[in-house]
Amino acid sequence: MISKRNKSLLQLLIAAITILIVFPLAWMVMLSFKTSGEIMSNPIAPPTSFNLENFTHALDILNYGQLYGNTFIVCIIALVIELICTFFSSFVIARMHFYHPGIKGALFTFFILGLSVSPFILLFPVYKINVFFGLRGIWALIFPYAASSVSFNTLLLVNYFKQLPSEIDEAAVVDGCNIWQLMFRVILPMSKPVLATIIIFNVLYIWNEFPYASVMLRDVSEYTLSMGASFFKGTYTVDYGGIVASSLMIIIPELIFYGIFQKNIVEGMTAGAVKG
Amino acid sequence: MYWLSKTRYKIGLLLPSFCIYTVFILLPIAMAVRYSFTKYSGLGKPQFTGLQNYVRMFQDDLFWSSFKNTMIMFVLAFVLLLVLSFAIALLLNKKLKGSDLSKALIFSPAIIAPIIVGIIWVYILDPNVGIINGILDAIGAEGLKHQWIGGATLTPYSLAIVYFWQQLGYLVTIFIAGLKMLPEEVMEAAIIDGANEWQKVTRIIIPMMKSNISTVAILIITGVFKIFEIVQQTTGGGPNHLSETLVTYSYTMTFDSGDYGYGMSLATVTFIVSLIIVGIYSAFFGDKEEKKEAKARRKLAKEAKAAKKAAKGGAA
Repeated sequence: MISKRNKSLLQLLIAAITILIVFPLAWMVMLSFKTSGEIMSNPIAPPTSFNLENFTHALDILNYGQLYGNTFIVCIIALVIELICTFFSSFVIARMHFYHPGIKGALFTFFILGLSVSPFILLFPVYKINVFFGLRGIWALIFPYAASSVSFNTLLLVNYFKQLPSEIDEAAVVDGCNIWQLMFRVILPMSKPVLATIIIFNVLYIWNEFPYASVMLRDVSEYTLSMGASFFKGTYTVDYGGIVASSLMIIIPELIFYGIFQKNIVEGMTAGAVKG
Repeated sequence: MYWLSKTRYKIGLLLPSFCIYTVFILLPIAMAVRYSFTKYSGLGKPQFTGLQNYVRMFQDDLFWSSFKNTMIMFVLAFVLLLVLSFAIALLLNKKLKGSDLSKALIFSPAIIAPIIVGIIWVYILDPNVGIINGILDAIGAEGLKHQWIGGATLTPYSLAIVYFWQQLGYLVTIFIAGLKMLPEEVMEAAIIDGANEWQKVTRIIIPMMKSNISTVAILIITGVFKIFEIVQQTTGGGPNHLSETLVTYSYTMTFDSGDYGYGMSLATVTFIVSLIIVGIYSAFFGDKEEKKEAKARRKLAKEAKAAKKAAKGGAA
Protein backbone atom coordinates (compact mmCIF):
# COMPACT_ATOMS: atom_id res chain seq x y z
CA MET A 1 0.00 0.00 0.00
CA ILE A 2 2.53 2.57 1.12
CA SER A 3 5.98 2.25 -0.41
CA LYS A 4 8.91 1.87 1.93
CA ARG A 5 10.38 5.22 0.98
CA ASN A 6 7.10 7.02 1.57
CA LYS A 7 6.71 5.20 4.86
CA SER A 8 10.00 6.45 6.22
CA LEU A 9 9.21 9.95 4.94
CA LEU A 10 5.91 9.93 6.83
CA GLN A 11 7.65 8.63 9.92
CA LEU A 12 10.13 11.47 9.66
CA LEU A 13 7.25 13.93 9.39
CA ILE A 14 5.57 12.51 12.49
CA ALA A 15 8.84 12.69 14.40
CA ALA A 16 9.34 16.32 13.34
CA ILE A 17 5.84 17.32 14.47
CA THR A 18 6.30 15.55 17.79
CA ILE A 19 9.63 17.25 18.44
CA LEU A 20 8.13 20.63 17.58
CA ILE A 21 5.31 20.10 20.08
CA VAL A 22 7.50 18.77 22.87
CA PHE A 23 10.19 21.39 22.35
CA PRO A 24 8.69 24.14 24.59
CA LEU A 25 8.55 21.68 27.50
CA ALA A 26 12.11 20.55 26.95
CA TRP A 27 13.16 24.17 26.70
CA MET A 28 11.75 24.87 30.17
CA VAL A 29 13.78 22.01 31.62
CA MET A 30 16.91 23.41 30.01
CA LEU A 31 16.21 26.93 31.27
CA SER A 32 15.62 25.75 34.82
CA PHE A 33 19.35 25.10 35.21
CA LYS A 34 20.28 28.65 34.17
CA THR A 35 20.40 31.57 36.55
CA SER A 36 18.07 34.51 35.98
CA GLY A 37 21.06 36.57 34.88
CA GLU A 38 22.04 33.99 32.26
CA ILE A 39 18.48 33.79 30.95
CA MET A 40 18.34 37.55 30.51
CA SER A 41 21.78 38.10 29.00
CA ASN A 42 21.77 35.16 26.60
CA PRO A 43 18.48 33.29 26.43
CA ILE A 44 19.53 30.64 23.91
CA ALA A 45 22.89 29.59 25.38
CA PRO A 46 22.95 26.21 27.14
CA PRO A 47 23.37 26.28 30.92
CA THR A 48 26.97 26.69 32.10
CA SER A 49 26.62 24.26 34.95
CA PHE A 50 24.14 21.81 36.35
CA ASN A 51 22.88 23.89 39.26
CA LEU A 52 19.68 23.44 41.17
CA GLU A 53 19.70 26.93 42.67
CA ASN A 54 16.42 27.88 40.99
CA PHE A 55 14.64 24.96 42.57
CA THR A 56 15.93 25.63 46.08
CA HIS A 57 15.07 29.29 45.59
CA ALA A 58 11.51 28.42 44.51
CA LEU A 59 11.17 26.14 47.53
CA ASP A 60 12.22 29.04 49.77
CA ILE A 61 9.59 31.39 48.41
CA LEU A 62 6.57 29.12 48.12
CA ASN A 63 5.41 26.42 50.45
CA TYR A 64 4.84 23.59 48.00
CA GLY A 65 3.69 21.21 50.70
CA GLN A 66 0.89 23.60 51.47
CA LEU A 67 0.03 24.15 47.77
CA TYR A 68 -0.21 20.44 47.15
CA GLY A 69 -2.01 19.93 50.45
CA ASN A 70 -4.66 22.57 49.71
CA THR A 71 -5.21 21.26 46.21
CA PHE A 72 -5.46 17.74 47.58
CA ILE A 73 -8.06 18.71 50.21
CA VAL A 74 -10.15 20.63 47.65
CA CYS A 75 -9.97 17.63 45.30
CA ILE A 76 -11.05 15.11 47.93
CA ILE A 77 -13.99 17.10 49.32
CA ALA A 78 -15.24 18.30 45.93
CA LEU A 79 -14.99 14.77 44.54
CA VAL A 80 -16.88 13.21 47.45
CA ILE A 81 -19.68 15.77 47.13
CA GLU A 82 -19.99 15.62 43.34
CA LEU A 83 -19.69 11.84 43.13
CA ILE A 84 -22.44 11.25 45.69
CA CYS A 85 -24.73 13.80 44.03
CA THR A 86 -24.20 12.75 40.44
CA PHE A 87 -24.13 9.03 41.20
CA PHE A 88 -27.63 9.34 42.71
CA SER A 89 -29.09 11.61 40.04
CA SER A 90 -27.58 9.66 37.14
CA PHE A 91 -28.91 6.45 38.65
CA VAL A 92 -32.41 7.92 38.63
CA ILE A 93 -32.09 9.22 35.07
CA ALA A 94 -30.55 6.06 33.63
CA ARG A 95 -32.30 3.26 35.48
CA MET A 96 -35.53 4.30 37.14
CA HIS A 97 -38.93 3.92 35.60
CA PHE A 98 -40.78 7.10 34.68
CA TYR A 99 -44.46 7.17 33.93
CA HIS A 100 -43.77 9.75 31.23
CA PRO A 101 -40.60 8.71 29.35
CA GLY A 102 -39.98 12.26 28.07
CA ILE A 103 -39.09 13.42 31.58
CA LYS A 104 -35.94 11.27 31.55
CA GLY A 105 -34.65 12.90 28.39
CA ALA A 106 -35.53 16.34 29.67
CA LEU A 107 -33.67 15.76 32.96
CA PHE A 108 -30.60 14.49 31.09
CA THR A 109 -30.57 17.51 28.78
CA PHE A 110 -31.09 19.81 31.75
CA PHE A 111 -28.05 18.44 33.56
CA ILE A 112 -25.69 18.39 30.57
CA LEU A 113 -26.54 21.92 29.39
CA GLY A 114 -23.85 23.16 31.78
CA LEU A 115 -21.18 21.86 29.39
CA SER A 116 -21.68 24.92 27.19
CA VAL A 117 -21.43 27.48 30.00
CA SER A 118 -18.22 29.47 30.16
CA PRO A 119 -16.91 29.91 33.72
CA PHE A 120 -16.24 33.60 33.16
CA ILE A 121 -19.87 34.61 33.25
CA LEU A 122 -20.21 32.78 36.58
CA LEU A 123 -17.21 34.15 38.47
CA PHE A 124 -18.64 37.25 40.07
CA PRO A 125 -22.14 35.90 40.80
CA VAL A 126 -20.60 32.78 42.36
CA TYR A 127 -18.40 35.03 44.46
CA LYS A 128 -21.53 36.80 45.72
CA ILE A 129 -23.24 33.47 46.39
CA ASN A 130 -20.22 32.28 48.38
CA VAL A 131 -20.33 35.46 50.44
CA PHE A 132 -24.04 34.92 51.02
CA PHE A 133 -23.46 31.40 52.33
CA GLY A 134 -20.37 32.46 54.27
CA LEU A 135 -18.09 30.15 52.26
CA ARG A 136 -14.47 31.29 52.48
CA GLY A 137 -11.01 30.09 51.49
CA ILE A 138 -10.93 26.67 49.93
CA TRP A 139 -14.61 26.18 50.79
CA ALA A 140 -15.39 28.92 48.31
CA LEU A 141 -13.88 26.68 45.61
CA ILE A 142 -15.30 23.31 46.59
CA PHE A 143 -18.93 23.93 45.69
CA PRO A 144 -18.30 25.71 42.36
CA TYR A 145 -15.90 22.91 41.38
CA ALA A 146 -18.40 20.24 42.34
CA ALA A 147 -21.15 22.08 40.44
CA SER A 148 -18.96 22.52 37.34
CA SER A 149 -18.53 18.78 37.07
CA VAL A 150 -22.21 17.87 37.38
CA SER A 151 -22.72 18.06 33.61
CA PHE A 152 -19.65 16.05 32.68
CA ASN A 153 -20.29 13.38 35.32
CA THR A 154 -23.95 13.08 34.32
CA LEU A 155 -22.97 12.57 30.70
CA LEU A 156 -20.53 9.78 31.49
CA LEU A 157 -22.47 8.09 34.28
CA VAL A 158 -25.84 8.03 32.52
CA ASN A 159 -24.32 6.61 29.36
CA TYR A 160 -22.49 3.98 31.38
CA PHE A 161 -25.46 2.99 33.54
CA LYS A 162 -27.61 2.59 30.45
CA GLN A 163 -25.24 -0.08 29.13
CA LEU A 164 -25.68 -2.28 32.20
CA PRO A 165 -28.40 -4.89 31.56
CA SER A 166 -31.66 -4.16 33.36
CA GLU A 167 -31.96 -7.80 34.48
CA ILE A 168 -29.35 -7.05 37.13
CA ASP A 169 -31.70 -4.68 38.92
CA GLU A 170 -34.60 -7.07 38.62
CA ALA A 171 -32.58 -9.98 40.00
CA ALA A 172 -31.36 -7.81 42.87
CA VAL A 173 -34.87 -6.67 43.75
CA VAL A 174 -36.25 -10.21 43.58
CA ASP A 175 -33.45 -11.27 45.94
CA GLY A 176 -34.69 -8.67 48.39
CA CYS A 177 -32.40 -5.67 47.82
CA ASN A 178 -33.68 -2.29 48.87
CA ILE A 179 -32.76 0.80 46.90
CA TRP A 180 -29.57 1.55 48.87
CA GLN A 181 -28.31 -2.00 48.61
CA LEU A 182 -29.05 -1.98 44.90
CA MET A 183 -27.04 1.20 44.38
CA PHE A 184 -24.11 0.53 46.69
CA ARG A 185 -23.77 -3.26 46.57
CA VAL A 186 -24.73 -3.92 42.96
CA ILE A 187 -24.34 -0.89 40.70
CA LEU A 188 -21.40 0.82 42.41
CA PRO A 189 -18.98 -2.13 42.16
CA MET A 190 -19.86 -2.46 38.48
CA SER A 191 -19.11 1.21 37.79
CA LYS A 192 -15.45 1.21 38.76
CA PRO A 193 -14.06 1.93 35.26
CA VAL A 194 -16.26 4.97 34.63
CA LEU A 195 -15.69 6.26 38.16
CA ALA A 196 -11.93 6.01 37.64
CA THR A 197 -12.20 8.10 34.49
CA ILE A 198 -14.38 10.69 36.24
CA ILE A 199 -12.10 10.94 39.28
CA ILE A 200 -8.92 11.29 37.24
CA PHE A 201 -10.47 13.82 34.90
CA ASN A 202 -11.77 15.94 37.78
CA VAL A 203 -8.49 15.82 39.68
CA LEU A 204 -6.85 17.25 36.58
CA TYR A 205 -9.53 19.92 36.28
CA ILE A 206 -9.09 21.07 39.88
CA TRP A 207 -5.30 20.89 39.62
CA ASN A 208 -5.35 23.24 36.62
CA GLU A 209 -8.29 25.49 37.49
CA PHE A 210 -7.29 29.13 37.74
CA PRO A 211 -10.18 31.61 37.18
CA TYR A 212 -12.22 30.61 40.25
CA ALA A 213 -9.11 30.26 42.41
CA SER A 214 -7.92 33.74 41.43
CA VAL A 215 -11.22 35.29 42.46
CA MET A 216 -11.99 33.33 45.64
CA LEU A 217 -8.59 32.95 47.31
CA ARG A 218 -7.12 35.93 49.11
CA ASP A 219 -4.51 34.49 51.42
CA VAL A 220 -1.30 32.75 50.31
CA SER A 221 -1.92 30.03 52.89
CA GLU A 222 -5.09 29.07 51.00
CA TYR A 223 -3.49 28.95 47.54
CA THR A 224 -3.96 25.97 45.29
CA LEU A 225 -1.36 24.88 42.72
CA SER A 226 -2.43 27.09 39.82
CA MET A 227 -2.35 30.13 42.10
CA GLY A 228 1.15 29.14 43.16
CA ALA A 229 2.18 29.18 39.51
CA SER A 230 0.93 32.73 39.07
CA PHE A 231 2.52 33.91 42.32
CA PHE A 232 5.81 35.07 40.82
CA LYS A 233 4.09 37.39 38.38
CA GLY A 234 2.76 39.61 41.12
CA THR A 235 6.01 40.17 42.92
CA TYR A 236 7.38 42.66 40.36
CA THR A 237 10.88 41.32 40.55
CA VAL A 238 11.62 39.55 37.31
CA ASP A 239 12.76 36.25 38.72
CA TYR A 240 12.89 34.25 35.49
CA GLY A 241 14.77 31.32 36.97
CA GLY A 242 12.39 31.03 39.90
CA ILE A 243 9.34 31.09 37.65
CA VAL A 244 10.72 28.31 35.46
CA ALA A 245 11.61 26.13 38.43
CA SER A 246 8.29 26.63 40.19
CA SER A 247 6.37 25.88 36.99
CA LEU A 248 8.32 22.68 36.53
CA MET A 249 7.59 21.62 40.08
CA ILE A 250 3.91 21.85 39.23
CA ILE A 251 3.93 20.25 35.79
CA ILE A 252 6.38 17.40 36.37
CA PRO A 253 4.06 15.62 38.83
CA GLU A 254 1.26 16.39 36.39
CA LEU A 255 3.14 14.76 33.53
CA ILE A 256 3.90 11.72 35.69
CA PHE A 257 0.21 11.55 36.59
CA TYR A 258 -0.55 11.70 32.88
CA GLY A 259 1.96 8.95 32.17
CA ILE A 260 0.29 6.65 34.69
CA PHE A 261 -3.35 7.39 33.88
CA GLN A 262 -2.94 8.26 30.20
CA LYS A 263 -5.68 5.88 29.09
CA ASN A 264 -8.29 7.25 31.49
CA ILE A 265 -7.39 10.88 30.86
CA VAL A 266 -7.58 10.57 27.09
CA GLU A 267 -10.78 8.54 27.39
CA GLY A 268 -12.41 11.10 29.69
CA MET A 269 -11.47 14.09 27.57
CA THR A 270 -12.60 12.54 24.32
CA ALA A 271 -15.76 10.96 25.78
CA GLY A 272 -16.88 14.34 27.07
CA ALA A 273 -16.36 15.77 23.60
CA VAL A 274 -17.56 13.03 21.32
CA LYS A 275 -20.76 12.22 23.09
CA GLY A 276 -21.47 15.81 24.07
CA MET B 1 -36.86 -1.62 38.16
CA TYR B 2 -40.46 -0.71 38.33
CA TRP B 3 -40.84 -1.56 42.03
CA LEU B 4 -38.23 0.77 43.44
CA SER B 5 -39.13 3.72 41.22
CA LYS B 6 -41.10 5.54 43.87
CA THR B 7 -41.54 9.26 43.37
CA ARG B 8 -40.09 10.00 46.78
CA TYR B 9 -36.88 8.12 45.92
CA LYS B 10 -36.61 9.90 42.60
CA ILE B 11 -37.00 13.34 44.10
CA GLY B 12 -34.72 12.57 47.03
CA LEU B 13 -31.95 11.24 44.80
CA LEU B 14 -32.20 14.01 42.21
CA LEU B 15 -32.31 16.79 44.77
CA PRO B 16 -28.60 17.08 45.74
CA SER B 17 -27.42 17.39 42.12
CA PHE B 18 -30.29 19.68 41.29
CA CYS B 19 -29.53 22.04 44.18
CA ILE B 20 -25.79 22.34 43.62
CA TYR B 21 -26.25 22.70 39.85
CA THR B 22 -28.98 25.31 40.19
CA VAL B 23 -27.27 27.36 42.88
CA PHE B 24 -23.78 27.41 41.34
CA ILE B 25 -24.44 27.24 37.58
CA LEU B 26 -27.96 28.38 36.63
CA LEU B 27 -28.60 31.02 39.27
CA PRO B 28 -25.24 32.76 38.58
CA ILE B 29 -26.12 33.10 34.89
CA ALA B 30 -29.40 34.79 35.79
CA MET B 31 -27.57 37.00 38.29
CA ALA B 32 -24.93 37.95 35.71
CA VAL B 33 -27.59 39.00 33.22
CA ARG B 34 -29.38 41.00 35.92
CA TYR B 35 -26.17 42.74 37.04
CA SER B 36 -25.48 43.61 33.41
CA PHE B 37 -28.40 46.05 33.53
CA THR B 38 -27.11 47.79 36.63
CA LYS B 39 -24.39 50.06 37.88
CA TYR B 40 -22.73 48.29 40.77
CA SER B 41 -19.53 49.13 42.58
CA GLY B 42 -19.74 46.23 45.04
CA LEU B 43 -20.97 48.43 47.88
CA GLY B 44 -24.60 49.08 48.59
CA LYS B 45 -27.27 47.98 46.18
CA PRO B 46 -26.87 47.70 42.40
CA GLN B 47 -28.67 50.56 40.67
CA PHE B 48 -30.81 49.63 37.71
CA THR B 49 -29.67 51.57 34.66
CA GLY B 50 -31.42 49.76 31.84
CA LEU B 51 -29.36 49.35 28.70
CA GLN B 52 -26.76 51.94 29.68
CA ASN B 53 -23.93 49.38 30.00
CA TYR B 54 -24.65 48.03 26.55
CA VAL B 55 -24.76 51.51 25.03
CA ARG B 56 -21.44 52.28 26.72
CA MET B 57 -19.99 49.07 25.34
CA PHE B 58 -20.75 50.05 21.76
CA GLN B 59 -18.97 53.34 22.27
CA ASP B 60 -16.04 51.77 24.10
CA ASP B 61 -12.92 51.53 21.92
CA LEU B 62 -11.40 48.98 24.27
CA PHE B 63 -14.41 46.74 23.85
CA TRP B 64 -13.99 46.83 20.09
CA SER B 65 -10.24 46.20 20.26
CA SER B 66 -10.84 43.23 22.60
CA PHE B 67 -13.50 42.05 20.21
CA LYS B 68 -11.10 42.36 17.28
CA ASN B 69 -8.34 40.51 19.16
CA THR B 70 -10.73 37.72 20.08
CA MET B 71 -11.87 37.40 16.49
CA ILE B 72 -8.27 37.30 15.18
CA MET B 73 -7.47 34.54 17.65
CA PHE B 74 -10.64 32.73 16.77
CA VAL B 75 -10.16 32.78 12.98
CA LEU B 76 -6.47 31.86 13.08
CA ALA B 77 -6.86 29.15 15.72
CA PHE B 78 -9.96 27.77 14.01
CA VAL B 79 -8.34 27.38 10.60
CA LEU B 80 -5.02 26.08 11.92
CA LEU B 81 -6.51 23.67 14.41
CA LEU B 82 -9.23 22.26 12.21
CA VAL B 83 -6.97 21.63 9.21
CA LEU B 84 -3.80 20.52 10.95
CA SER B 85 -5.36 18.39 13.67
CA PHE B 86 -7.27 16.53 10.98
CA ALA B 87 -4.16 16.09 8.85
CA ILE B 88 -2.08 14.89 11.79
CA ALA B 89 -4.85 12.50 12.83
CA LEU B 90 -4.80 10.98 9.33
CA LEU B 91 -1.03 10.65 9.56
CA LEU B 92 -1.05 9.04 13.00
CA ASN B 93 -3.89 6.72 12.05
CA LYS B 94 -1.60 4.99 9.53
CA LYS B 95 -0.26 2.98 12.48
CA LEU B 96 3.36 3.52 11.62
CA LYS B 97 6.07 2.64 14.14
CA GLY B 98 6.22 5.18 16.94
CA SER B 99 2.73 6.55 16.33
CA ASP B 100 1.54 5.69 19.83
CA LEU B 101 4.43 7.46 21.47
CA SER B 102 3.88 10.49 19.24
CA LYS B 103 0.20 10.51 20.13
CA ALA B 104 0.98 10.49 23.84
CA LEU B 105 3.57 13.25 23.54
CA ILE B 106 1.48 15.51 21.29
CA PHE B 107 -1.41 15.18 23.74
CA SER B 108 0.66 16.21 26.76
CA PRO B 109 0.25 20.03 26.44
CA ALA B 110 -3.51 19.56 26.81
CA ILE B 111 -3.18 18.36 30.40
CA ILE B 112 -0.84 21.11 31.59
CA ALA B 113 -2.40 23.95 33.59
CA PRO B 114 -3.22 26.79 31.15
CA ILE B 115 -1.56 29.22 33.52
CA ILE B 116 1.73 27.35 33.04
CA VAL B 117 1.20 27.16 29.29
CA GLY B 118 1.27 30.96 29.44
CA ILE B 119 4.50 30.93 31.43
CA ILE B 120 6.16 28.45 29.07
CA TRP B 121 5.43 30.60 26.04
CA VAL B 122 6.77 33.75 27.63
CA TYR B 123 10.19 32.11 27.30
CA ILE B 124 9.59 31.57 23.61
CA LEU B 125 7.80 34.72 22.51
CA ASP B 126 9.10 37.39 24.86
CA PRO B 127 11.01 40.05 22.91
CA ASN B 128 13.87 40.09 25.44
CA VAL B 129 14.22 36.64 26.97
CA GLY B 130 12.34 34.63 24.33
CA ILE B 131 14.01 32.04 22.17
CA ILE B 132 12.65 33.33 18.84
CA ASN B 133 14.30 36.71 19.01
CA GLY B 134 17.34 35.07 20.59
CA ILE B 135 17.79 32.82 17.57
CA LEU B 136 17.15 35.66 15.12
CA ASP B 137 19.86 37.60 16.91
CA ALA B 138 22.29 34.71 16.81
CA ILE B 139 21.92 34.17 13.06
CA GLY B 140 22.19 37.86 12.38
CA ALA B 141 18.61 38.38 11.22
CA GLU B 142 17.85 41.27 13.53
CA GLY B 143 15.52 42.69 10.91
CA LEU B 144 13.06 39.86 11.51
CA LYS B 145 12.87 40.49 15.24
CA HIS B 146 9.43 41.49 16.42
CA GLN B 147 7.54 42.14 19.59
CA TRP B 148 5.75 38.81 19.38
CA ILE B 149 3.94 39.59 22.60
CA GLY B 150 3.47 42.84 24.42
CA GLY B 151 3.59 44.94 21.26
CA ALA B 152 0.63 46.71 19.76
CA THR B 153 -0.32 44.30 16.99
CA LEU B 154 1.13 40.80 17.07
CA THR B 155 -0.12 39.51 20.43
CA PRO B 156 -3.42 37.95 19.31
CA TYR B 157 -1.68 36.13 16.44
CA SER B 158 0.98 34.77 18.76
CA LEU B 159 -1.61 33.72 21.33
CA ALA B 160 -3.55 31.86 18.64
CA ILE B 161 -0.38 29.82 18.07
CA VAL B 162 -0.07 29.17 21.80
CA TYR B 163 -3.67 28.00 21.91
CA PHE B 164 -2.98 25.86 18.86
CA TRP B 165 -0.08 24.22 20.67
CA GLN B 166 -2.18 23.53 23.73
CA GLN B 167 -5.19 22.07 21.92
CA LEU B 168 -3.62 20.22 18.98
CA GLY B 169 -3.10 16.84 20.66
CA TYR B 170 -6.54 16.84 22.21
CA LEU B 171 -8.30 17.48 18.90
CA VAL B 172 -6.06 15.01 17.07
CA THR B 173 -7.18 12.36 19.55
CA ILE B 174 -10.84 13.14 18.93
CA PHE B 175 -10.30 12.85 15.19
CA ILE B 176 -8.43 9.56 15.60
CA ALA B 177 -11.35 8.21 17.66
CA GLY B 178 -13.62 9.17 14.75
CA LEU B 179 -11.35 7.64 12.12
CA LYS B 180 -11.31 4.36 14.04
CA MET B 181 -15.09 4.18 13.74
CA LEU B 182 -15.12 4.34 9.96
CA PRO B 183 -16.09 0.94 8.52
CA GLU B 184 -13.13 -0.93 7.02
CA GLU B 185 -15.17 -2.23 4.08
CA VAL B 186 -15.79 1.23 2.68
CA MET B 187 -12.08 1.96 2.63
CA GLU B 188 -11.31 -1.39 1.03
CA ALA B 189 -13.97 -0.84 -1.62
CA ALA B 190 -12.52 2.58 -2.40
CA ILE B 191 -9.05 1.10 -2.84
CA ILE B 192 -10.39 -1.61 -5.14
CA ASP B 193 -12.19 1.05 -7.17
CA GLY B 194 -8.84 2.75 -7.60
CA ALA B 195 -9.31 5.80 -5.44
CA ASN B 196 -6.08 7.59 -4.65
CA GLU B 197 -5.16 8.95 -1.21
CA TRP B 198 -6.55 12.43 -1.93
CA GLN B 199 -9.87 11.10 -3.24
CA LYS B 200 -10.18 8.81 -0.24
CA VAL B 201 -9.84 11.75 2.12
CA THR B 202 -12.02 14.26 0.31
CA ARG B 203 -14.72 11.96 -1.06
CA ILE B 204 -15.05 9.40 1.71
CA ILE B 205 -13.39 10.26 5.00
CA ILE B 206 -14.46 13.90 5.28
CA PRO B 207 -18.13 13.30 4.33
CA MET B 208 -18.31 10.34 6.73
CA MET B 209 -16.73 12.28 9.59
CA LYS B 210 -19.11 15.24 9.42
CA SER B 211 -20.40 14.94 12.97
CA ASN B 212 -16.86 14.48 14.28
CA ILE B 213 -15.70 17.59 12.47
CA SER B 214 -18.65 19.51 13.90
CA THR B 215 -17.71 18.44 17.42
CA VAL B 216 -14.15 19.65 16.97
CA ALA B 217 -15.29 22.91 15.38
CA ILE B 218 -17.64 23.64 18.27
CA LEU B 219 -14.94 22.75 20.79
CA ILE B 220 -12.60 25.24 19.12
CA ILE B 221 -15.23 27.98 19.06
CA THR B 222 -16.24 27.61 22.71
CA GLY B 223 -12.59 27.07 23.67
CA VAL B 224 -11.34 30.29 22.11
CA PHE B 225 -13.91 32.23 24.11
CA LYS B 226 -12.47 30.74 27.30
CA ILE B 227 -8.85 31.71 26.63
CA PHE B 228 -7.82 33.59 29.71
CA GLU B 229 -4.73 32.36 31.51
CA ILE B 230 -2.39 32.56 28.54
CA VAL B 231 -3.29 36.22 27.96
CA GLN B 232 -3.01 36.95 31.66
CA GLN B 233 0.44 35.38 31.90
CA THR B 234 1.98 36.67 28.67
CA THR B 235 0.83 40.28 28.48
CA GLY B 236 -1.80 40.78 31.18
CA GLY B 237 -3.83 42.50 28.47
CA GLY B 238 -1.20 45.22 28.09
CA PRO B 239 0.18 47.53 26.90
CA ASN B 240 -2.73 49.84 27.71
CA HIS B 241 -5.31 47.06 27.34
CA LEU B 242 -4.36 46.69 23.65
CA SER B 243 -3.98 42.92 23.77
CA GLU B 244 -7.07 42.38 25.89
CA THR B 245 -9.57 39.76 24.73
CA LEU B 246 -13.29 39.81 25.54
CA VAL B 247 -12.81 37.45 28.46
CA THR B 248 -9.82 39.23 29.97
CA TYR B 249 -11.43 42.64 29.44
CA SER B 250 -14.55 41.57 31.28
CA TYR B 251 -12.39 40.08 34.05
CA THR B 252 -10.34 43.27 34.34
CA MET B 253 -13.43 45.47 34.41
CA THR B 254 -15.07 43.29 37.04
CA PHE B 255 -12.26 42.45 39.40
CA ASP B 256 -9.58 45.08 38.85
CA SER B 257 -11.72 48.16 38.17
CA GLY B 258 -14.58 47.02 40.40
CA ASP B 259 -17.07 48.04 37.73
CA TYR B 260 -19.23 44.99 38.31
CA GLY B 261 -22.24 46.01 36.25
CA TYR B 262 -20.18 46.79 33.16
CA GLY B 263 -18.00 43.70 33.67
CA MET B 264 -21.07 41.49 33.78
CA SER B 265 -22.50 43.03 30.62
CA LEU B 266 -19.18 42.27 28.89
CA ALA B 267 -19.29 38.69 30.20
CA THR B 268 -22.86 38.30 28.99
CA VAL B 269 -22.01 39.61 25.53
CA THR B 270 -18.96 37.32 25.31
CA PHE B 271 -21.09 34.31 26.17
CA ILE B 272 -23.75 35.33 23.65
CA VAL B 273 -21.18 35.95 20.90
CA SER B 274 -19.76 32.45 21.35
CA LEU B 275 -23.25 30.96 21.24
CA ILE B 276 -24.03 32.94 18.07
CA ILE B 277 -20.89 31.65 16.34
CA VAL B 278 -21.81 28.10 17.32
CA GLY B 279 -25.28 28.80 15.93
CA ILE B 280 -23.91 30.16 12.65
CA TYR B 281 -21.61 27.18 12.33
CA SER B 282 -24.44 24.71 12.93
CA ALA B 283 -26.70 26.52 10.48
CA PHE B 284 -24.13 26.23 7.69
CA PHE B 285 -22.35 22.97 8.42
CA GLY B 286 -24.57 21.24 10.95
CA ASP B 287 -25.79 17.72 10.46
CA LYS B 288 -27.82 17.75 7.24
CA GLU B 289 -29.68 14.60 8.25
CA GLU B 290 -30.81 16.18 11.46
CA LYS B 291 -31.99 19.26 9.62
CA LYS B 292 -33.91 17.15 7.14
CA GLU B 293 -35.55 15.32 10.01
CA ALA B 294 -36.47 18.57 11.73
CA LYS B 295 -37.95 19.84 8.47
CA ALA B 296 -39.96 16.66 8.03
CA ARG B 297 -41.18 16.92 11.61
CA ARG B 298 -42.26 20.51 11.09
CA LYS B 299 -44.09 19.53 7.93
CA LEU B 300 -45.89 16.72 9.74
CA ALA B 301 -46.87 19.03 12.55
CA LYS B 302 -48.20 21.54 10.05
CA GLU B 303 -50.22 18.89 8.28
CA ALA B 304 -51.60 17.62 11.56
CA LYS B 305 -52.59 21.15 12.48
CA ALA B 306 -54.25 21.67 9.12
CA ALA B 307 -56.08 18.37 9.47
CA LYS B 308 -57.26 19.38 12.94
CA LYS B 309 -58.45 22.71 11.64
CA ALA B 310 -60.26 21.00 8.77
CA ALA B 311 -61.89 18.58 11.19
CA LYS B 312 -62.94 21.46 13.43
CA GLY B 313 -64.31 23.32 10.43
CA GLY B 314 -66.18 20.20 9.38
CA ALA B 315 -67.68 19.81 12.86
CA ALA B 316 -68.80 23.42 12.91
